[in-house]
Amino acid sequence: MHEFSLAQGLFSQLLQLAETHRAQKIITVRVEIGKLSGIVVDSFSFGFEILAMENKLTKNAILEITEIEPVKTCIDCGGIVPFNEQLSGRCPECGSMKFTLTGGDDLILTQVEME
Amino acid sequence: MMCDACGCQVPDAERDTRTVDVHESLLAANLEQARENRRHFEKMGAVAINLISGPGSGKTTLLEQTIRHLRKKIKIAVIEGDIETERDAARIKAQGAPAVQITTGGACHLDARLVHKGLHQLQHENETAKFDIIFIENVGNLVCPATFDLGEHERIVLISVPEGSDKPAKYPKAFTSSQCFLITKTDLLPYFDFSMDEAKEEALKLNQGLKIMELSATAGDGFDAWLSYLQHLTKK
Repeated sequence: MHEFSLAQGLFSQLLQLAETHRAQKIITVRVEIGKLSGIVVDSFSFGFEILAMENKLTKNAILEITEIEPVKTCIDCGGIVPFNEQLSGRCPECGSMKFTLTGGDDLILTQVEME
Repeated sequence: MMCDACGCQVPDAERDTRTVDVHESLLAANLEQARENRRHFEKMGAVAINLISGPGSGKTTLLEQTIRHLRKKIKIAVIEGDIETERDAARIKAQGAPAVQITTGGACHLDARLVHKGLHQLQHENETAKFDIIFIENVGNLVCPATFDLGEHERIVLISVPEGSDKPAKYPKAFTSSQCFLITKTDLLPYFDFSMDEAKEEALKLNQGLKIMELSATAGDGFDAWLSYLQHLTKK
């Protein structure tokens, strides 16, 4: 439910960027959404579409989302295991069940293409 | 490429396309305010605790009983978050502890800015008071509150026995982002199909460092461990 307000935050930043760079049009917006961020990609895209239509500057803007996985580090052997809920639990190297998770919890505006 | 105004073709040479690297977190505004809140709590000498759970898992009852037990040892204040009504703040005040109510008017979570407002209101209403612990009771919701740092020092997630032991696996973010997991309403264990092992195992799988306690705020089981944990947090 907060995806829409996050999309609103994105738009105020986009409008600012367009002003700074004297752009007439925003073409592509690239964001990274962490898989642990709690942000639903579809809802965020939907919010983006609705807000994009409201402004001439963003009317045809395309949103590109890259989903970022957190890094799962095994506490016992130090091995790095890709985060995957299907394999929930064990380190493929040493069988340990102890992990720390880092990253994958943010929403980042990485790049904007404008003209 | 077509012109927006009249639809005529614009030659490519006239287009001036730029790619701007930004790399800014959209959660940054909240994080910045959260850091500010943390400094604010520390300046007051208070430990801030953010309580997260679904509706009806017993957050307010836990706070009522906690205030009743620690009244003479620890000064507690509460920032209450709800979508509507001042009821929870009234329940806390009835126990003799200062409380302010934030009504989000529809929003499904508290954010750092709302808590900052609540904190100022709390100080304004209790000008000379000193607090050891400030509890922030989040909006009853196991999903959205997990994404927003409020500037707390400790985040506690609650699951009550009637909700079921599958909740850690179903709502992972609340567990990966918390330091402590409270299983509440344990007096109801005989009446519900709740597996203590499942709840604990699933939660630890998500977050190995999670401190887990089980208690019943109304019957009193496990309450001593909870109280000494709070006293330990305040170093009292």
